[in-house]
Amino acid sequence: MTDQPQKPASATSPWNWARVIYAALALTVFCFPGGLVDWLDERNESGWLAAPLALARAVDAASAAVGIKQAGQGLRKAFADAIGEGDG
Amino acid sequence: MLFPTIDFGLFFAFSLTLVWSLNSYNTLKKAVLLALSLAFYASWNWRFLALLLASGAISYLVGLYVDAEARRPYRRLALGIGVALDLAILGYFKYLDFFIAQFLTLAHALGLNPSIGFVNVTLPVAISFLTFHAISYIVDVYRGRLPASRSPLEIVLYVSFFPHLVAGPIVRAHEFLPQLASPPRAGDFSFGENLLLILGGLFKKMVIANYLAVHFVDPVFTDPTQFSRFDLIFAVYAYAIQIYADFSAYTDIAIGVAALLGYRFPQNFNQPYRALGIGDFWRRWHMTLSRWLRDYLYIPLGGNRHGALATARNLMLTMVLGGLWHGANWTFLIWGAMHGVALVVDHAWRRSAAFARFGEGPIARVVDWAVTFHFVCFAWLFFRSPSLDAALQFIAGVWSDNGAPNTMPAIVLPLIACGALTQIVPPQTRGAIGAVLDNRGPAFQVACGFALLYGIVVMAPPGSAPFIYFQF
Repeated sequence: MTDQPQKPASATSPWNWARVIYAALALTVFCFPGGLVDWLDERNESGWLAAPLALARAVDAASAAVGIKQAGQGLRKAFADAIGEGDG
Repeated sequence: MLFPTIDFGLFFAFSLTLVWSLNSYNTLKKAVLLALSLAFYASWNWRFLALLLASGAISYLVGLYVDAEARRPYRRLALGIGVALDLAILGYFKYLDFFIAQFLTLAHALGLNPSIGFVNVTLPVAISFLTFHAISYIVDVYRGRLPASRSPLEIVLYVSFFPHLVAGPIVRAHEFLPQLASPPRAGDFSFGENLLLILGGLFKKMVIANYLAVHFVDPVFTDPTQFSRFDLIFAVYAYAIQIYADFSAYTDIAIGVAALLGYRFPQNFNQPYRALGIGDFWRRWHMTLSRWLRDYLYIPLGGNRHGALATARNLMLTMVLGGLWHGANWTFLIWGAMHGVALVVDHAWRRSAAFARFGEGPIARVVDWAVTFHFVCFAWLFFRSPSLDAALQFIAGVWSDNGAPNTMPAIVLPLIACGALTQIVPPQTRGAIGAVLDNRGPAFQVACGFALLYGIVVMAPPGSAPFIYFQF
């Protein structure tokens, strides 16, 4: 860790840190929505996560509609194939 | 709740906002941090929360007494009781069955049949790290390095603070408690550097360590008799990279997470496989454990103050106990003893006339590096093997080749190269890139954070194995 007293406000505000982290996580979820849907689904036995699960499924559908989800899946598969870890 | 999971991602995202929103209310903030830490621990096994609280209570009460008592013998007695209680908790959960097994083996060898059973107790997560933190506090108070805290909240938070709770780094009391006195300032930390630390940790764990473990190291160490000499040798190198990537990933993420919450942890790794000599290795590997063992075990034993023989004895004792700290198994004890012997030899060599004459040239440094690295790798063989028999089978396989074909997957060499790269890149690189990130706007920061995270998710295998150091 380094101390840098002359940093701009965007680097010294924890609210900005949170915004940046949330945005990066949200974008990642949009690109790979399946993980969050599965995670919520596994914990939704009593239905208490119905609302976030519905939201996650909507994100999943939106991601699939614009092709982002398939792109992510394709890259993961391509990487797995490249290192010899594909389905076959 | 493992670091590289959705559970922890959500937990951290929630904690980050909550903790900073309470920054003007320091006591409330500490109470919330404690509640978050207890929740984090309870996610593994809520039954052991009492253990966490008991450890904090022992430290708090002993600290208060030691601080208030002026008479040295009573202070020493209180310190001794406090340390003994902490070690008794550790001993009960971690070592009792091991010692019962050794006792029964010895008794059977002598033709006796004592009616002693195993306690079969579940090993609580983080018990070893918890003990080290608790001891650090009462010893620091005893030595006058910090005053006893009047706040039980601070002491329990110190031993249970969630970023370091499970696998370190071992943050000593005098490093952490003063940070609780006043609210942290975000400007004291580099957002960019700590973001890179976390993302780098995720890459090391999710990509390097996971692939090496699942696709090569674990199968080879599970049954070394089925693998060729080539596979066995490369499995040892691969494990050296895996354990570094795995453990340094955990502490990198812990340091980064703590910093983003406003708390500074000490560095735990400094490119250990560049070490020239075993002494140098231990100044670079698990640095907080090395310092803990030095300050709370080696120096109290006498350190190097009573001649060469006593120094050798103290080094051996420290390293054997350090090895045993990792687990109740002969393999850890042997690993510790090997490092103890190596430290004694290293200590003697660096003080010899021969070293003064030949030890500083470029060729000598290359030899020094090669000997150190290969000794460390050889010792990892014992550390990783599930039993002494398995370790000996492994070595026999290297000798005999087992008549097996080479099966090392192609991905292993690039992963080893990736791990080697982490030892070569100048340490200040992350700080420099972090400073660039700090000086750019949020959009650039989001783009960089997202791009790196995206790359990690693309490359990571599904699921994530637990960190190696969780078992310790």
